[in-house]
Amino acid sequence: MLEKNLRKLIAICFLLTYVLLGIPLWYKLTTIYRATLPIDYIESLHNDQYQDVHLVIPVYIKPDVYKFPDIHDAVQIQINHLLNSLKQKVPWSLQILPYDDTIDEKNHIINLELADFVGYNAAFDSKETTVYYDDKSVASNDLPFFIAQTLIEHTFHIEASELNEIEQPTPQTSISVAYTPNVHLSISLLSGDGLPIGWDIETTLKDYFSPFRELLSPVVNFTVDTSIIYYNDLNLHSLNSTSNITSTQLSHAMDLSELSSMNYFSESVALNLAIVFPSLERNPNGFEFINSPKNHSNWQSFVVPQWGVITINKYPLRKNSYLTESYLNPIMYQFAQDLFELLGLTNSLDDELLSPIITIDSFKRITILKNLEKATETLWSLVKLTKSFQQMAIPKEVLENVRKALELRLNIVEMLNDPKLGDDLVWSQALIMSNQLVEYCETAFFHGEMLKQNFFPQEHKVAVYLPLLGPLTIVTLMGVIKCFKENKLLAKLQEIDEDVSSTTIYNDDEKQDEKLIQGSESDEL
Amino acid sequence: MRFSTSLITLLCAMLLNHLVIAEHTNNWAVLVSTSRFWFNYRHMANVLSMYRTVKRLGIPDSQIILMLSDDVACNSRNLFPGTVFNNKDHAIDLYGENVEVDYRGYEVTVENFIRLLTDRWSEDQPKSKRLLTDENSNIFIYMTGHGGDDFLKFQDAEEIASEDIADAFEQMHEKKRYNEIFFMIDTCQANTMYSKFYSPNILAIGSSRLDESSYSHHSDVEIGVAVIDRFTYYTLEFLEKIEKNSTLTLKDLFDSYTLENVHSHVGVREDLFDRDPAETLITDFFGNVQNIIPDDMSRKDFAGKYNYDGGNEKLSRNVLNLAIEKATEEREVSEKAISPTSLRIVNSVNQNARKISNDTQQKNGSYSIVILGLSTLLGILYFIMRNDNQALKTI
Repeated sequence: MLEKNLRKLIAICFLLTYVLLGIPLWYKLTTIYRATLPIDYIESLHNDQYQDVHLVIPVYIKPDVYKFPDIHDAVQIQINHLLNSLKQKVPWSLQILPYDDTIDEKNHIINLELADFVGYNAAFDSKETTVYYDDKSVASNDLPFFIAQTLIEHTFHIEASELNEIEQPTPQTSISVAYTPNVHLSISLLSGDGLPIGWDIETTLKDYFSPFRELLSPVVNFTVDTSIIYYNDLNLHSLNSTSNITSTQLSHAMDLSELSSMNYFSESVALNLAIVFPSLERNPNGFEFINSPKNHSNWQSFVVPQWGVITINKYPLRKNSYLTESYLNPIMYQFAQDLFELLGLTNSLDDELLSPIITIDSFKRITILKNLEKATETLWSLVKLTKSFQQMAIPKEVLENVRKALELRLNIVEMLNDPKLGDDLVWSQALIMSNQLVEYCETAFFHGEMLKQNFFPQEHKVAVYLPLLGPLTIVTLMGVIKCFKENKLLAKLQEIDEDVSSTTIYNDDEKQDEKLIQGSESDEL
Repeated sequence: MRFSTSLITLLCAMLLNHLVIAEHTNNWAVLVSTSRFWFNYRHMANVLSMYRTVKRLGIPDSQIILMLSDDVACNSRNLFPGTVFNNKDHAIDLYGENVEVDYRGYEVTVENFIRLLTDRWSEDQPKSKRLLTDENSNIFIYMTGHGGDDFLKFQDAEEIASEDIADAFEQMHEKKRYNEIFFMIDTCQANTMYSKFYSPNILAIGSSRLDESSYSHHSDVEIGVAVIDRFTYYTLEFLEKIEKNSTLTLKDLFDSYTLENVHSHVGVREDLFDRDPAETLITDFFGNVQNIIPDDMSRKDFAGKYNYDGGNEKLSRNVLNLAIEKATEEREVSEKAISPTSLRIVNSVNQNARKISNDTQQKNGSYSIVILGLSTLLGILYFIMRNDNQALKTI
C-alpha cells in the first residue's frame, strides 16, 4: 500500500514540478523583457507640448533724465496686452523690472534716453535696446506703449514670430542644417591642376575665425580642418564655354561628391568652405561665367543648402602661388555671414543682421524650446513603436534614459519659467541641458537591443518549442494518468477478489490462475 | 499704377528666384546583394552596376551603403581575376574603379540590414557603415537575391520577411529618417516584398509577380555563369541615358519595362507615394543634385559696406568684426591688468589692503584680551556658585 502511494506521490510531484516550476520558469525565460515606460505622462506631453512651460524673459528698464517710478508696471501692462492679442503657440511673456546697479549687461536692458524725437536703436554689440523719447510722449503717456511695441516687434521679434501663431510665408527651403551643438568645418582649397600652391590659412583662421568661434561658442562648438586638394575643380571646367550660366546649370555641372565625405570626424554635421581655382592648363583664361562687378575681387560665392559655401575664382593660380591673408579675409567675412544662415541663426540671406548678440540670445531660447519639442516627440515615437511592436524588447537602460530625460526636462522648464533668471549664462546652461535631454531621448530611441528583427509568426514558436516541450509533457502527463488508472484497476481487482471469495465455494484452479496472471500484468503496468 | 505693377512683378520674380525646387537636400543609396557563391555572380553584378550608376550621378561614396558578399571578383573560378562584368562584351569593369563595400561576406545579414535601416547600433559602429539620413533625405534602396512569397533569402542562412522591411520603414518614418524612399527589388516573386509596406512616401517597384520567377538576362561563355538579371539589365539600359541635368521621370523608367524584355510582370506600388511618378525626376533618387544659391553678398558693394581692409573696421557691421572687437576687448582687459599704470593701482590697492589687515589684526588682538578676561571672570563666578551650592547641600 505504501509503495502504491509512493508511486502516486512521485507522479504528482513530477506533475507539480512541471506545472508550478517548469511552466513559470519557461515563461519567464522566454518572455521578452519589456520595461514599463511612463506612457501616460509622455502621451500627455505629446498632446500638450508646453503644458508646464511659460517662458519668462526679464527685461530691465534704465531711465536717464526723468525717473519713472512706475514705468515698469505700466510697460508690463502694455506688454501683457500686446502678447494676449497674439495667439501664442508657446506660452511666453516678458517680466519688466526696474534697473539697479547689480544688473549687468548680460541681461536685456532698455535704456530710456530723452531726445527730441521718438525712436529706438538696438545695440549691435550688446543686449541693450535704446528707446528715445521726447517730452510730448511722456505728457501723453505714450511711452509705455512705445517701449512695449519696441520690445515685442524689434528686440524680441524672433520670439514673437517663432512662439506665436503668426501667418508666415511657408519656409521655402531649408538652407540651414538641423541644430547640433557640435559642428565640423571643412575648409579646402581646390586647384584644377597639380602645380604646388600654398595659403596662409593658419594665421587667417587665428586672426579672424577664432574670435568668431568664441562669439558662437555658447551655441555651437566648431572643429575645423583645412586641406589643399589638387586636380579637382568640382568639374567646373565643363562649363567653361558658357559665359552666362544659371544656378541650375551650375548645380548640374558641379560635383561635390569628393568633398562630401563626413566619415573622418565624429560630429554628425559638417559644413564646408571650398575655394576653387581653375586649372592653368585647361582654362588659361579662367572661368568665363564668373563675371565679377567692379570694385570686387575676382571671385564669386555660392551657398549650397545644408552643405556650405563655394567660392569660385575666375583666374587660375600660377606655380608656387601663395594666397595671403589679405586675399582670404574677404572670403572669411563672407563665410562668417553665411554661417549664420547655414546654422539657422538668421532666416534669409537678405536679412541684415541688426543685433547679432540679441539674435544669438533669441536663438538659444528658440533652440531650447525646439529641443524640448524634439525630445518629447522622440519619446512619443518610442512609446508608439513599443505599443505597435509587442515583440520588441524594451531594455532597462531605455527606461533609465527616459526617466533621466523627463527629470531633466522638468529642470529645464523650471529654469525657463523663473522670471528672475535671464542672463546669458542661464540661457547657455539651459541650452546645454536641453542638448543633453535630446541626447538621452535619442539614446533611448536608438538602443541597440531594441531590434524588431524577425517577423516571428506563431508557427515558428511552435516549431522551436514543440521538440522540447512535447516529449516532456507527454511523459509527465501520461505517467500521472497511468498511475491513477493503475490504482483504480487494483481497487477493482480487490473488489472482484472479495466477491469471488464470498460467492464461490469451490476453488476453481483455472480461474484463480487467470486472476493471478491479470494481477501480475497490472502490477507490471 | 504701372510702376507699382512692375514693382510687384519684380518682387515676385525676386521671390521665385530664391525658391528652391526640390524638397530633399541629400541623397542616399542602400544597395544590397543578398546572395553568395560563384553561381550567383549576376547578383553581385546587378548591385555593382547600380553602385556605378548612382556614383556616376553624384551620390558620394559616404552616402552609399553597399552590402554584398564580395566573393566573385577574387573567386578562384573567375577567369578575369579582380573584375566583375555585367555584359559579355566586358565593356565596363564594375570592380575596377574605387569600390567601397560597407558590409561584405558574412556581414550581410538580416540583422545588420534592419539595424542599418533603423540605425540601432552599439556605440562603436563606425560612421561610414551607418545610414545617417534625416528628414531631408531621399533614399534609394535596391535589393537583389533569391526570394519567394513575402521573403528574401540572405546568404542561404536566413531570410527577411516583407513585414520586417515594412516595420523597419515605419520606424524610420517615426524618427523622421527620410523624406522619400524609392524601393527597387529584383528577385523571384519580388512584388510580394513591398506588399506589406504601410509607411508614407514610399515608392516601390518589383521585378515579378507572385508565383513568377525573375530571369537572368544572358550568360557569358568565358565566365561561365549568367552575368546580369533581366530587370536590372533594362533598368541600367535606361539609366545609362541619364545625366545629372536629365528631365526624365520615374514614369519614363516604369514605361520602359515590357513583358517581352523582362519576361515577368514588373509591379509598381505608388499608393503610399505623395507625388506623381510622372513628375518625379530620376535624379531625385539616383543622383545627388545640390541646389545652389548665388550669394548676394558678393554681388553687393561688399568692399564698401564691410570694410575689411582695416581702417574703419569698428564701425562696419559685420559679425566677424563684432567677434574680433569682442575678442580684442577681452584681450585689452587682461592686458590692462599687467600694464604699468594698472600695476601701480594694484600696488596701492595692495598697500591699502595690507593696512586694513594690520588694523584688523590689532583689533583682533584687543578683542582676544577682552574675551580672555571675560571668560576668566565667568570661570571664577562659576567656581564661587558651585561652592555655594555644595555648602547648601551639606546644610
